[in-house]
Amino acid sequence: MRWLRGLRRQETTPTRLISVAVLTAVALAITFILPPVANSQLAGGAAITIVILGLSWLIGWSGQISLGNSGFMAVGAYAAGIWAHHHATTPLIFTFALATVVGGLSGLVVAIPSTRLRGPYLAGMTLAFSAAITPLAQNFSSVTGGEGGIFFNTLTTPGWFQHLFSGVDATINANAQWTADLAVMTAGVTFFIMANLFHSRTGRAMRLVRDNDVAAELMGVNLSRTRTFAFVVAASFAGLGGALFSLINATVRPETFPLTLSITLLTLMVLGGIGTLSGAVIGGIVYSFSTNLVSHINSLTGVNPASNLGANMQGIIFGVLLILTMLFAPRGIAGLGIKAVNLRHSRAVLASDENVN
Amino acid sequence: MIRVSDLSVNYGAIRALRNVSFEATPGKITAVLGANGAGKTTLLRAISGLVTPQTGTILLGEQSLARVATENIARMGVAHVPEGRGVIEELTVEENLRLGALASKVNISEGIEAQYAQFPVLGDRRRKYCGTLSGGERQMLAMARALIARPKVLLLDEPSLGLAPQVTAELMKTILSACESENLTVILVEQNAKSALRISHDAVVLHLGAVVASGSAAEVAADEDLRRYYLGLVEE
Amino acid sequence: MSSFLTSSFMSNIFGGLAQGVIYSLVALSLVIIWQSTHVLNFAQGAMAMFATYVGMTQIDRGLSYWWCVILSVVVGMAFGGITERVLIRPLYGKPEINPIVVMVGFLGVIEAVTTAIWTSTSRNIAAPFSQIYFKAGGKLVLLSPFIIFQIILAVVIMMLVAALFRFTRLGLQLRASALAPEVARLLGVRVNRMLTIGWMLSAGVGSIAAVILASGSFGLFPTNMDGVFVAGFIAAAVGGLDSPVGAIAGGLIIGLTEQFVLAYWSPSVAPLGGMIVLVAVLMIRPHGIFTRSVSRRV
Repeated sequence: MRWLRGLRRQETTPTRLISVAVLTAVALAITFILPPVANSQLAGGAAITIVILGLSWLIGWSGQISLGNSGFMAVGAYAAGIWAHHHATTPLIFTFALATVVGGLSGLVVAIPSTRLRGPYLAGMTLAFSAAITPLAQNFSSVTGGEGGIFFNTLTTPGWFQHLFSGVDATINANAQWTADLAVMTAGVTFFIMANLFHSRTGRAMRLVRDNDVAAELMGVNLSRTRTFAFVVAASFAGLGGALFSLINATVRPETFPLTLSITLLTLMVLGGIGTLSGAVIGGIVYSFSTNLVSHINSLTGVNPASNLGANMQGIIFGVLLILTMLFAPRGIAGLGIKAVNLRHSRAVLASDENVN
Repeated sequence: MIRVSDLSVNYGAIRALRNVSFEATPGKITAVLGANGAGKTTLLRAISGLVTPQTGTILLGEQSLARVATENIARMGVAHVPEGRGVIEELTVEENLRLGALASKVNISEGIEAQYAQFPVLGDRRRKYCGTLSGGERQMLAMARALIARPKVLLLDEPSLGLAPQVTAELMKTILSACESENLTVILVEQNAKSALRISHDAVVLHLGAVVASGSAAEVAADEDLRRYYLGLVEE
Repeated sequence: MSSFLTSSFMSNIFGGLAQGVIYSLVALSLVIIWQSTHVLNFAQGAMAMFATYVGMTQIDRGLSYWWCVILSVVVGMAFGGITERVLIRPLYGKPEINPIVVMVGFLGVIEAVTTAIWTSTSRNIAAPFSQIYFKAGGKLVLLSPFIIFQIILAVVIMMLVAALFRFTRLGLQLRASALAPEVARLLGVRVNRMLTIGWMLSAGVGSIAAVILASGSFGLFPTNMDGVFVAGFIAAAVGGLDSPVGAIAGGLIIGLTEQFVLAYWSPSVAPLGGMIVLVAVLMIRPHGIFTRSVSRRV
């Protein structure tokens, strides 16, 4: 925790780069130890981390409440899926870039009417967007594969990766470690970008817009442009995360992006700590091992995992966690961590509002 | 009657009231005077339970008002006309009056008719939304709405604010006659010390949250220093 | 005349109104809560769905349809009151994201618990009205006794709510508490109690919407109110979250829009139709059609 906190202040871009690189390397090393199941869970968590980074930026830093990020994920995933389906030989990095850009564009489309809205209006509007996006995908089934979705079956592990780790299977969904490594590296890159964004001029302007839009406007910040920018960034992160997420599952399907995914994202973000970099990572880790966590709780409480209650335990636990966190520790795990480390300065930290990251 | 003793109220680090003590007796108007920020409004809000005092007691008759909820204080017979009059603009004149009578035991329609008799202008406007009323009409409505529940205590916060001098004079007469005919305990917070002192029996002068003078209205009005330094009543 | 009734245009009007009244009820229930507590209740649909499960499944135990409806509403109201006391009351005065997050979490809990208890299988609740369409001159009119019942019930509920707010002592206190809570307290109104009652009323209205939805061809399943909630929210935002009349009008507008999109384009893009209306309205009036003031309140 203290380590991640090092990324917060008085850090320059090079030191941030080193920190993120070390962190990523540690995560990559871990993928060599983990069994395949855990690796694919880790990959999912890394993809979700990217989405939460964007969401945390949007909600925590620009103060715009979005329930539409599962929709942006779907947009990115479909962009990647449709492209990869027709152009199997394109380098993966291009497919991801495409998902990021298309995701960002969808964010722009939503932002144009939405940035004039506040609070609950905005939340409802973005919820409506994510509710409308998957039926829309199903509607154009000739392109999107309808209910069945699109398979990423033709992607292969790049040659250099196979050389680096001999014995790596060439097909993507057969090797969990390669997907985990890919996801962790992508998450590392996005984390670095977001860490810089948080501390950039734009980041500071964003917080000013959130806390006092009148003052921001007086200081020459263009409100609607700043808010739109926040949306576009969050949506492109979600687009990238969504593409990665689908790649791990080797398919893009409407059912991957239900409305409840928005709830899950919100839970993970709040649990980790709204508007914090470390919180996004914590959220991703929690997501990775939520299945294990839930089955552990099931076995602790003696609930049969195959029973109706067992099957819905995750939804119940996530919802309850979200409510309890918001009621009793609204700054999430990252907030608690900061409190513990800064016991002596705890009063000052608490007084300086919610946005300690 | 209202007996305030040793009352202190803090807003965070700011001490809005410091050890304030005074009494307001039935059938009399007690003026609470002082400059902006002297703590006058806070005093009324403390009596109504809208702010929680750090120390001190407030007695209504023999009953302590400590930890009594605002709505229950109102139901015990303390009517409070807040700053800006508190007329609900989105409701009609009659609805505002009805609201004033709801929590009391008075017969609502009789009570409303009695107020219309007292303030004929309100009767003429009974179906109008209060957003359309003038300042003077709003003040009358606020008075009528407070009096309809037949309170024992009437707290008035800057009733003359924004009113023309003739309207203010009219209002002060109304307050005095209500006080005398109903044997009301009136606490009148005013910046306009001149018109307040004209009808008040007693006066308390607050400065930066503390009582600097109290006594009969005549004594306070006659004190040259008070007039000059605390009440801004200097005649050239 | 009969050819007019059986025309596809009129069919769409009937279909849109039938769906629209459900949206209107949900929108109205959202507005009641919004006015009094400035919370947009994201769990509104799920709460109503849960109450409908508790109430309407008593049919299995031999209770009559009507008693089940009443039970659903009573359960819904109790649920609303408890929710306000336990989950919302600690959040008054907190940043506006807090109640949103809490209610989104609550939505997740309710749906998961409902699925755990009753499974996700859809079930039909048989209303004592035929769902078979009327015929005029040998052709179908897209109106059935059930649809007529659905529209009448919704309208009666709206009128009852309007009358309650307009003409009763309770309604006056509810309005005063929403408009000026501090003044209301100074006049002896028990504002906290009014907030709880507001949530109860709102949840009751929502339950009626869920009961109607479940009794029709849509059926009852744990997520059956999700789409309806979204449409109801859009309706409320189109009308303006401050305006009950706007909520009802907004519901009808969204219901009709969806029906026409569905009929002339495709069922799966129907939700998009409502959203486009919302975007169009909000571009022109960011606080909805029926709000009086344009000052920023949200």
